[in-house]
Amino acid sequence: MKRMMFALAVLVMLAGSAYAQGTIKLGGIWTLADITGKQGSAAARMAVDEINAAGGVLGRKLELIVADDEGKADKAAAAVEKLATVDKVDVFIGGMASGAELGKIPAFKKYDKVVMSTGAAASTVVEKALGPSPGSDFYFHLHPWDYNQGASYLEGWTAINKKDPNIKIARVFLGYEDGAFGQSSWVATKTLFSPSMGFTIDGASFKSAAFGGGDYTAMLEAAKAFKPDIFLWAGYDADALPMLEQAKAMKFSPGIFLGAPPGWPQNFGDSKLSPNVTLYGMWSTAMNKNNPASDKFYKNYVAKFKEEPATYFAPLAYSAVYILADGIKAAGTTETAPLIKALEATKYASPLGETITFSPSMIIKHQGITRQKILQWQNGEQQVIWPFEAATATLVYPFPAWK
Amino acid sequence: MAIQRRTAITAAISIAVAIVLILWKPTVLIYGLQAAGFYAAIAIPMGLVLGIVHIVNLSHGEFMMLASYATYFACTALGVDPLLAIIPTAIVTAIFGWVVFQLTIRRALKAPELNQLIMTYGLAIAFSQGINLIFSTKTYKMPLDYVTASMTIGDLSFGIWSFVFVGVAIIFMYGLQFFLTKTTTGKAAMAVGQNPKGAAIVGINVYRTYGIVFALALALVGAMGALFLTKSAIFPSVGSPFTMKSFCLIAMAGVGNIPGILSASVLLGVTEQFLRAFRGTRDWAEIVFFILIIGVILARSYKGRKA
Repeated sequence: MKRMMFALAVLVMLAGSAYAQGTIKLGGIWTLADITGKQGSAAARMAVDEINAAGGVLGRKLELIVADDEGKADKAAAAVEKLATVDKVDVFIGGMASGAELGKIPAFKKYDKVVMSTGAAASTVVEKALGPSPGSDFYFHLHPWDYNQGASYLEGWTAINKKDPNIKIARVFLGYEDGAFGQSSWVATKTLFSPSMGFTIDGASFKSAAFGGGDYTAMLEAAKAFKPDIFLWAGYDADALPMLEQAKAMKFSPGIFLGAPPGWPQNFGDSKLSPNVTLYGMWSTAMNKNNPASDKFYKNYVAKFKEEPATYFAPLAYSAVYILADGIKAAGTTETAPLIKALEATKYASPLGETITFSPSMIIKHQGITRQKILQWQNGEQQVIWPFEAATATLVYPFPAWK
Repeated sequence: MAIQRRTAITAAISIAVAIVLILWKPTVLIYGLQAAGFYAAIAIPMGLVLGIVHIVNLSHGEFMMLASYATYFACTALGVDPLLAIIPTAIVTAIFGWVVFQLTIRRALKAPELNQLIMTYGLAIAFSQGINLIFSTKTYKMPLDYVTASMTIGDLSFGIWSFVFVGVAIIFMYGLQFFLTKTTTGKAAMAVGQNPKGAAIVGINVYRTYGIVFALALALVGAMGALFLTKSAIFPSVGSPFTMKSFCLIAMAGVGNIPGILSASVLLGVTEQFLRAFRGTRDWAEIVFFILIIGVILARSYKGRKA
């Protein structure tokens, strides 16, 4: 009896020790009505569950407290305030839209806790507001900035052209949605694919179906008249199939038909129009074949949530939790200064197909991923074309003429 | 006589503009008419409700969105084409519209207009957020071969599927005119729309008539919801911009003027495409909508004051 009592007491003490110092609280902020936020927060929760199942961090469990920013700057700022003052979180994680991220920055600066950001590409807005080191050292930006993305596209197409000179990239036409996203894409694309770099570029705007548009005919007419080598469109997932349908009806088939929406419609790969459409992205299920981290993430996610991750924001948020957990483990604390130091040494083999480290970008000190990938829809799946070291297929070129 | 002369002048100008466009920029006329048919087919049911029930239904676009979602999932599950779902969707949406009318809108008919607006706006939010909760913001689009049907004349290739919407708008317009002028229920609806008190005195059941008109409008919205799937991807907020656009077209045409909605749509569709056809004016295409509305309303009020 005495032995049983002793064993019980030890068990209680052991169980209690895990919670002796309370949990390590991660304050997650996403736009929950959006698929990126819904799946990003779910993937982050999955990472938290995995880490806790493996014993937690520093003998403590992780606790993810999620707040919804509704994609709005004011709600995002309020979410930071609530998580910092009511929930007393140790670190922040999450983010997608640049406008909402901008709203968080003053509060982030006020509370000076480490932030592991998974979104916000608009450098002219967000990076500028963060300012240079050391004032922004708390901010670890995983997602590439817009100029990082642009530079990687240029690097990618140049590499593809170098490998196969038959693939022409000299004439670029951008169809861009007439909102902030499209306009900034147009400015960035014009700068990157400039005549001084040997490119000829033109573009036209369209009203995205996401905002009541969906008629691309005038833009496609302008593109067809331009005879581009690369036709690139910057819009939303709702534009993807209707634009292809209208392009087919107009018999517009450029050498490369390239889309750059943040996500693709459900079952886009099943459409007869999807083969050989090229895209930019960070992750695809095809990577599971040669990337064990990607495969593990994908299988666990599907098993847990009974659906596929639709965008790269899910593996990105998943990676963010692991990077934070590793950093806290290395620092031995969640205190900002030692945690920053520990995170600066990050080398995380992510499911996104690359080892994430942090290095200075144009303004801030801690930039994570700097490249996006060039992918192509083949047999209903997004195949990686570039970087070549992560390639899962070769580019089908030219985009076949419509039958 | 003066009206006949004015109509003849308008027709002559329209034909002249059409000939110029065919020779100079044929795509402006082709795509302008397609856009006009699309706008009009969505706006006409809203015009019917506004003209007879006298309520601005701010959930108009969301009803269409619901019909599109219902069609998408029914067609995907049964493996049928959305064109086959037009009539079943119209019937289901009409029943749903009748129920919504009896449960909500009927209660607010005597309330101040602001209350009616808030209530229909509330319905719009409830519908879109409900769909958002169930299906999230994922977009769905049915891959259909026939929507890429095209015609080639010389060097010009263009899509022809969207001409279907022109036909639908014309059918809606003539169908409603037939219903309102040739059928007993339609005549009762016209009477109720013009003078509800007078109609009640002569024995017309006003609320029943309102319910029928609302359900009929929703049947057309449902049919359009099924057809909408052939042109557009769907997501929870897909309907809301069409509520505003439809309301503005009705304002341009004048309340109760269903043929006017078609004319306003042609004016808008062709003007939009004309501006989009030139590099310097592309970005004006969205603004022209509001410029036209302000212009037409100002002209109408000036004419009214003069009269």
